[in-house]
Amino acid sequence: MFNFSALFRKTISIPFSVGEKILPFFLWILAPVLILTSAFITNGVIIFLFGYNPIEAYAAAIGITFGSVSAVSETLVRSTPFLMTGLSVAIAFRCGMWNIGAEGQFLIGVLAATWFGTKIAILFPNTSWIAVPLCLSFAILAGGIWGIIPAILKVTRGVNEVISTIMLNYIAIHFVSLMIDGGPLQETSKTGPQSDPIAEWVFLPRLFESHRIHLGTGLAVILAIVLTFVLFRTTFGYQLRAVGEGAAAAEAAGISISHNTLRVFFISGALAGLGGAIEIMALVPHRLTENFSPDYGYTAIAVALLAKLHPLMTVATALLFGALAKGSFAMEAEVGISRQVTLMMQAIILLFVIGASAVKFFRKRTL
Amino acid sequence: METENILELQNLTKTFGNLVAVDNVNFKLQAGEIHAILGENGAGKSTLMNLIYGLHQPSGGNIRIFGKSKVFKSPRDAIASGIGMVHQHFMLIENLTVAENIALTVAQFSSKDGNTDSIESDTESPPEENGIPSKLSTFRYKKNDAIRLTEALSQKFGLAVDPSVLVRTLSVGLKQRVEILKALAVDARILILDEPTAVLSPQEVTGFFKILRALQAYNRSIIFISHKMKEVLEISDRITVLRHGKKVYHGKTGELSAPGLAREMLGEELSEVERKENKATTDLVLNVSGLTVPGSRNENAVLDVSIQTYRGEIVGIAGVDGNGQRELAEAIMGLRPITSGAVEILGRQPAGTKNIRKCGVGYIPEDRRTMGIITSFSIAENLMLNITHFEHLAKRGVISQKAKNRASTQLINTYDIRPSFANIPASALSGGNQQKIVLAREISPQPELLIAVNPTRGLDINAAQYVHQNLFAQRDRKKSVLLISTELDEVLQMSDRLYVMSRGKLIEATAHRDNIEALGLLMTGETYPDV
Repeated sequence: MFNFSALFRKTISIPFSVGEKILPFFLWILAPVLILTSAFITNGVIIFLFGYNPIEAYAAAIGITFGSVSAVSETLVRSTPFLMTGLSVAIAFRCGMWNIGAEGQFLIGVLAATWFGTKIAILFPNTSWIAVPLCLSFAILAGGIWGIIPAILKVTRGVNEVISTIMLNYIAIHFVSLMIDGGPLQETSKTGPQSDPIAEWVFLPRLFESHRIHLGTGLAVILAIVLTFVLFRTTFGYQLRAVGEGAAAAEAAGISISHNTLRVFFISGALAGLGGAIEIMALVPHRLTENFSPDYGYTAIAVALLAKLHPLMTVATALLFGALAKGSFAMEAEVGISRQVTLMMQAIILLFVIGASAVKFFRKRTL
Repeated sequence: METENILELQNLTKTFGNLVAVDNVNFKLQAGEIHAILGENGAGKSTLMNLIYGLHQPSGGNIRIFGKSKVFKSPRDAIASGIGMVHQHFMLIENLTVAENIALTVAQFSSKDGNTDSIESDTESPPEENGIPSKLSTFRYKKNDAIRLTEALSQKFGLAVDPSVLVRTLSVGLKQRVEILKALAVDARILILDEPTAVLSPQEVTGFFKILRALQAYNRSIIFISHKMKEVLEISDRITVLRHGKKVYHGKTGELSAPGLAREMLGEELSEVERKENKATTDLVLNVSGLTVPGSRNENAVLDVSIQTYRGEIVGIAGVDGNGQRELAEAIMGLRPITSGAVEILGRQPAGTKNIRKCGVGYIPEDRRTMGIITSFSIAENLMLNITHFEHLAKRGVISQKAKNRASTQLINTYDIRPSFANIPASALSGGNQQKIVLAREISPQPELLIAVNPTRGLDINAAQYVHQNLFAQRDRKKSVLLISTELDEVLQMSDRLYVMSRGKLIEATAHRDNIEALGLLMTGETYPDV
């Protein structure tokens, strides 16, 4: 028999009515734009109230973030850790697992890479093609194992992952301090709380000789694409989303919640850990210092939420956060706006984002 | 002398879309009587009570209190008119003390300005509360006042409870007392009790009935909703029976025997249901032996249940909601831990839902919106929400979009799911169409064993018939079906063998399928001499 509706679906692949799909899709694009516009206007007022010219400040910020090829390269470099940790958070949240532990997982990844780069790399002298993948794998494994701890606690003892991941962050932060301040990873001269630089053959190569943009940035973008495919085209991603969107229905369908919890936490931790390794392997001074992460793992929550937990959108939001970090630096350096004010402005942007995601949840409940 | 009608419902009607939930009901409640309302699930008892309590607004008819016509926009209005309701699920704040819970209610309702038609002016004798603070400040919580008020109330009505303990430390029976006290604290003249004994142990029920008698002595009227025949006969003065939203019987308690009431509740036309003759095989599919399953409150929701299903038969389990049917189905599906006993499917004991599914078990869960579908997922994604389905659609873990679209298009057309667009979220569908998604997914693969819990709930007659045809088709294919339903008609019409589930126990009732009285008694927790 002639199937009219199937033909309709095939020829016109647009959603079928304004009420059902076009509006949410429209909002999907429009909402972030509106949020950012309002945030920038608010910040403009603040800049003005502190006695600076908002136009001048924004011009400086835009110039240093997107003004030249090398500016863009630098912005991309700054965005990479946001992207890696953002992906880590997005994938966990998709599964309904509130992993707040990207910060700790990131640092454990850095630690693993530092250990490999300073202690083990000697075993593979001048062999980048072995040492680099091995070092990355090492960090992936370390981040994954650190990430799976809260999952094991949750599955076996019912421990709330929000609490356990936050606690594990503190443990990671202080463990790193311990390691580089009198611990086995402290630099050989023992002068300060930092490690030796990692071996040269463990450095991540640059993509272009004259710019700092490196292989890690490319890897992160590829990972975003791969994760999108995994999430929406594979049985694994399907199960993961089913657990996140309706755990009881997923369970009744034969999907194991505990297996998926363990898997997603491993992957989430691995992504953050890899992000950490990329930072130390790609950027000067190639050594682990205290405060190595300016709260990447926490900012990642905003990065992922603003991207509506979509890996591809995370590329865009990570870029925004990278640009913000760089832009505020420009405002400090060129316009003279104090660091406190630029930090406050960044916080205001986050506030707008969080407010908007609350609106999203409210919409979901009333529907 | 004609006793005064404290509450009168005149031609009360409530419709939800095309569904007439309450159909032209007339009802009179006298002062100081205990009036039982009997009815099956979906008979309209709850809707009727929600109308009286102001949670729903009637589509037609009148509510009169003390002869005055009233319109309740919300429960606030109903409470102000002296109506109190004790819900099945308690509305208490667990982390506050008993006195604080009472004070919260009193403070909300005693300080209402301009409420001239308060209860006092309506009643003949205003309550004689000497020295009891009948009002509490809205702004300042005075602990001693609240405790004195609570103590006075509990003494007056014989509802002993310590005012200064936290509610969360109380037993279920005591929490119920607090709920009743809360209603009495704002001087409720009419108390609606929704299945009050469902949560109580037999010993607690005895105590509870004493309380009801005490309230009666204080001229309080009680509407007692239940489907437990024995309790209704024991405690009530008059009985009203609802069936399909209509009042079908009304009379003094004792005028009609328990079997007679059961017939009124279930309707007589049921015994004329035609059943297709069928011969079951002797191939065992499901073998449940000695199964005991804990419920959510750690009671034994399912108690020592044994049941077998064979190829080529439909086994029906009838019963009133909440008697362990859900827990039984979930335990068979591996979704609920079991205390003792065993579940064997096709001679194996698969561990976990995944392996049970892979043995060829289909499952239509009772709770559609949380267990049957994922509302934020698209129709197509919901149609493959079964481990055997999506693994079948995938090659090396990658889901074939082509196979997925083909499968969903076919199921949408066969089961007439509307709107018939595979990519819209399931939340955009009506309940009936959501149920069709579940049915399409679970029945179409022709599982060896299908466990169907209330499969036609929310469907219109045509869709329900289509489901029934499919269940029969499963049987004719020599598959096995376990049908658990609160719709007695459905179970009688469909099943080759019949069980009744009551208070976690399973009673074989195939021999009584034409004896509606016997079934009614079994469903209401009674025994029938011949069983």
